[in-house]
Order: sequence, then C-alpha cells, then structure tokens
Amino acid sequence: MRGYFSVFRMRLRMELQYRGAMIGGILCQMFFGIVLVALYRALYAGKPQALPIEAVTTYVWLQQAFFRMLVSTDPDLLDKIRSGNISYDLCRPVNIYWFYYSRIAAQKLMGSLMRGIPMLVFAFLLPKGWGLSLPASAPGLLLGLLALIFGFLCMCALENISMGFTMRTLDPRGIQGMLGLLMMTFSGNLLPLTLFPDSWQKVITVLPYAQLMDAPIRLYSGIYAPQEAPRILAVQIVWTFVLITAGICLWNANKKRLIVQGG
Amino acid sequence: MSYIEVNGLRKSFVVRKKREKGKLFREKDTVEALKGVSFSVEKGELVGYIGPNGAGKSTTVKILSGILTPDGGEALVGGRVPWRERREYVKHIGVVFGQRSQLWWDVPIIDSFSLLKDIYRIPSAEYEKRLGELKEALGLNDIMRTPLRLLSLGQRMRAELCGSLLHRPELLFLDEPTIGLDAVSKIALRDFLKWENSEHGTTIMLTTHDMEDIAALCSRVMVLGHGQKLFDGRLPDLLEKFDTVRTVNVKYGAAVPSVSFPEGVSASWTDNELSLTYSPAKLPTAQLLLLLQEAGPISEMTLQPENIDHLIAAMYKEMDL
Repeated sequence: MRGYFSVFRMRLRMELQYRGAMIGGILCQMFFGIVLVALYRALYAGKPQALPIEAVTTYVWLQQAFFRMLVSTDPDLLDKIRSGNISYDLCRPVNIYWFYYSRIAAQKLMGSLMRGIPMLVFAFLLPKGWGLSLPASAPGLLLGLLALIFGFLCMCALENISMGFTMRTLDPRGIQGMLGLLMMTFSGNLLPLTLFPDSWQKVITVLPYAQLMDAPIRLYSGIYAPQEAPRILAVQIVWTFVLITAGICLWNANKKRLIVQGG
Repeated sequence: MSYIEVNGLRKSFVVRKKREKGKLFREKDTVEALKGVSFSVEKGELVGYIGPNGAGKSTTVKILSGILTPDGGEALVGGRVPWRERREYVKHIGVVFGQRSQLWWDVPIIDSFSLLKDIYRIPSAEYEKRLGELKEALGLNDIMRTPLRLLSLGQRMRAELCGSLLHRPELLFLDEPTIGLDAVSKIALRDFLKWENSEHGTTIMLTTHDMEDIAALCSRVMVLGHGQKLFDGRLPDLLEKFDTVRTVNVKYGAAVPSVSFPEGVSASWTDNELSLTYSPAKLPTAQLLLLLQEAGPISEMTLQPENIDHLIAAMYKEMDL
C-alpha cells in the first residue's frame, strides 16, 4: 500500500503547484455557474417547473464546484503513454491499474477541493434563488457526502478506463471526446438530471454517470429522501465494482498486446 | 545454470503504413524484431549488447525487464520468467532507459527518490545508507533539492542511475545510458558503473552505440543484427576479426630514397614524411618496421589502430546489416 499512497501524495503536491490554473478554473466555473443560474431563472420566469428554483441553482453550483472531479485528465499520464515513458512504470513492483488509480484520485481530489471550497463559499453568499441552499437535513448532508465518495471512486475508475483505451489508440482525444459528451450529458452537468422528463430519469439515474454527481446532489438537497439512501448507495456500489473490474480487465488485456512507442 | 538464460527469444511487431494512393486498405508490415535470440550471462558479468539501430537491442531489454511479452522462446533470470512473474521479478532488477525519464519533472529529485523508496519498500535505514553511498559516487550532493527540469542532461542521467539502483538490484539493464552526454560525464558514468559492478557484484547488461563505452567497461560483447545474434565473445576477438587496416605515419630525419612495399600497402609521401596503411594480417608489424628502419633515420613515428566506430561500421557492412 505504501507505494500507492506515496504516489497519491506526490500527485497531490504536484497539483498544488498549479495555483494560476486553479484561480483561472475558479473564475471560469463561477462565470458558468452564474450564466446557467440566470438561464434557469429566465426559464422559470416563463414557465415555472415542479422543482423549486432553489433546488436547481443548488444543483448547478454543486456541479460547478466539483466540475474538476468530473472532467479532468492527468496530462503527465497521457504524455507517458504517448511517448513510451510508461516503460518505467511497467517495471515497478506495483499493480499498474491501482498505481494509476492512485494518481488519478489524487489529481481529481486535490484539483476539485482547491477549486470547490472557494466556489461553495461564494455560492452560499449569493442571494436566495441565485445561490447554494443549505442541505435539506443533517442525514441528507452526511448521506450526500457518502454518496460523493462512491461517486468519486466511479469517476476515477471511468478515467482509468479512458487511460486504458488511450494505451490502444495513443491519442486520448477520440475516446475522451466521446466519453466526455456522455459524461457531461448524463451526469447532469449540462442540464440538471432533475429537469429531464420523468420517464427518461428512470433510465438515466441508473446509468453510471448519474452516480458521480447527481446522486450525491439529490441526497444533499433532499430530492432523494434519506430513506431512499440504501437503494441509491447500492446502485453506486455496484457501479463502482463494475467500473473498476472493467478497468482492471482492460489494463490486463493491454499488457499482453503492449508495444512501447519510440524505440 | 547461468544467471540469465535466454533461449530462442522471438518478438514481432505490426507496423501499419500510410495507405497508398488508389488502394483501399492500409498495408501492414510485420517487423520481426527478434528472430530467436539465445544467450546466457553469469552473475557479476558486465556485458555489452551492440548492434545498429533497429537491431532488437531495446526489445531484448524490454522483454528481460518484464515490460513486453515475447511471441516465443524462453527466458529465465535468476530462476524467474520476467513477463510471467513481473511484480515479483522486477523487485530484483533495475533499468535505465537513456532517452526516457523515471523521475518526476517538476519536483526535486530527492522526492522522486523517496517515492521509489516506498514503491520498492526499502527500509529507511537501508535507504539512507544506500542513498548516501550513491550520492557520493554519482556526485549528486548539490542537486538533491533541485527540481529535475532544472538539471543538465548529465546531471539528470546520474540522477536516473541513482534512482534505478536505490533498491540494490542484482541486475541492471542500461539502454543507451551515455546518449547525449559530454566526455566528462561519460567517463564519470563509466567509472561509476565499474565501481558498482566490482563493489556490489551487480550484473550489468548495457546497450550502446558508443564503442568507447564497450571498450572501457565490458569484458564481453554481443552483437545483434536483424534480430539475430551475430557475435558473442571478447571485444579484442571481435576487433581482430574486422580490424584489417592500420595507419602509420613516419617522419624521416633526411631525404629517403623511395622504398618499395609489398602488395597491399598504400603509401604516400610528403617531403620526408610517409603515411601508409597496411593490414597486420598480411604484413606482420615487425616486418614493416624493419622495412621502414632500413629506409633511413626515423625521427618520429605514430601507429594508429583504426577508429573503433569505423571498425564497427565495417563489421556491420560485412555482416550485411
């Protein structure tokens, strides 16, 4: 475990070096947050929906605060795969899947905490109907946090699957473009999943993407009652298991057909 | 049984080429990087592995370091099959890829080393001792806290070497470790490798294009070409086989009547200076010296073996590589 923890720590520290990128990211996500909130307010002014506007703005702000957890890629890791520097990692006495999983987790965690915390403070300070509401209840907050942990594990697993595909295609853009689109749509980042037609929601909420941010947000804002939590968490745990298993199989298969680029 | 036993190792790669105009599909080429290579290496040996670009040297190293799985053949290193028991196996080996980096770009090298300490689970006391020793031998004392990106190539290579040896590997693979280094760094690196080999008995397998590396370090050399082993033995024996021509420059104290040399010697005169090339195999050096001395009073003389790079080029040519 020491090696995995050590690479996790190292990657955390590296993320701290990109302070300029952090500030840029915060400003960008704040801008997007305000634009989206204004958009939904305009929509509600025309035709109010069943879901109160406060729930929608809370949804938007939580999505924006943890955006970096959802969509971020480790450029160094991609570079290793492209250039063949991955050779060095392959001759270490570690399981390569978990070694990279630790790296990805560190990057996603530190990146989103550094951006998320200031963003959440900012969103709390906005007037009612624009900003972030308090959690529906104390159990809602705790269950939401627990769901966020499983969501996080799923996100890292998805990222590691896209890394595994990059080992085959060498260029991450295709697979990331495709997975990114699915991710943005079905995770609720583009449009809160709560605003999709009810019949759609039945399907969408069991997809892996809904487990990442949507499930924690709904628990936080009370759209899912705390009694429903065991079912929600069970779905998340199943997906965590499936995505990690799929990633491990992919990496194992890669090992057999590996070619090292660049001589 | 030897420490490294390689038997009939084969590996091929598929190379897809750009589609030709007017054709529907891309062409595929299968490149046989290794066509059944066999050798064995004893513990504590320092072996040079040479061959032109694309001969399969790096492929061999990658297979023996557990990264690639071969298509066929067997390899046992210290009783283990590298690609089958990868995680257990790689604890005992170290690898340096001359054109790649294992240390983290943005962080001080000491931090990369402590990550390696955790990855290889080196006990702290053992780590401190080994790091102290390597720091001293590789002259890293002043740069331990410098981020990798601020180091020169020579410093970086020494740091890479330190990283690969922290866990005291029994076997060290070096894939072109002196690529791009200046003369001072090269010599320092060679001295270090000799020291590591004699002090700790580390078996070293070195691929290089720098024949000086081989001449300075390796008691044994293997030549690889087109995925096959073409020579395996001592460097002097290899050179003898291909070392056909030598150059002699002689300066006479006075004008000399022209000398007639046997066939196969080409001579050219500039005033009192003679420059000639001969082949020791055809004309023994002692006999040549006698001829030269009879011709007149010699004031200066130099004898040069042919440049080692030219020799190897001639050898590759002869072996049709």
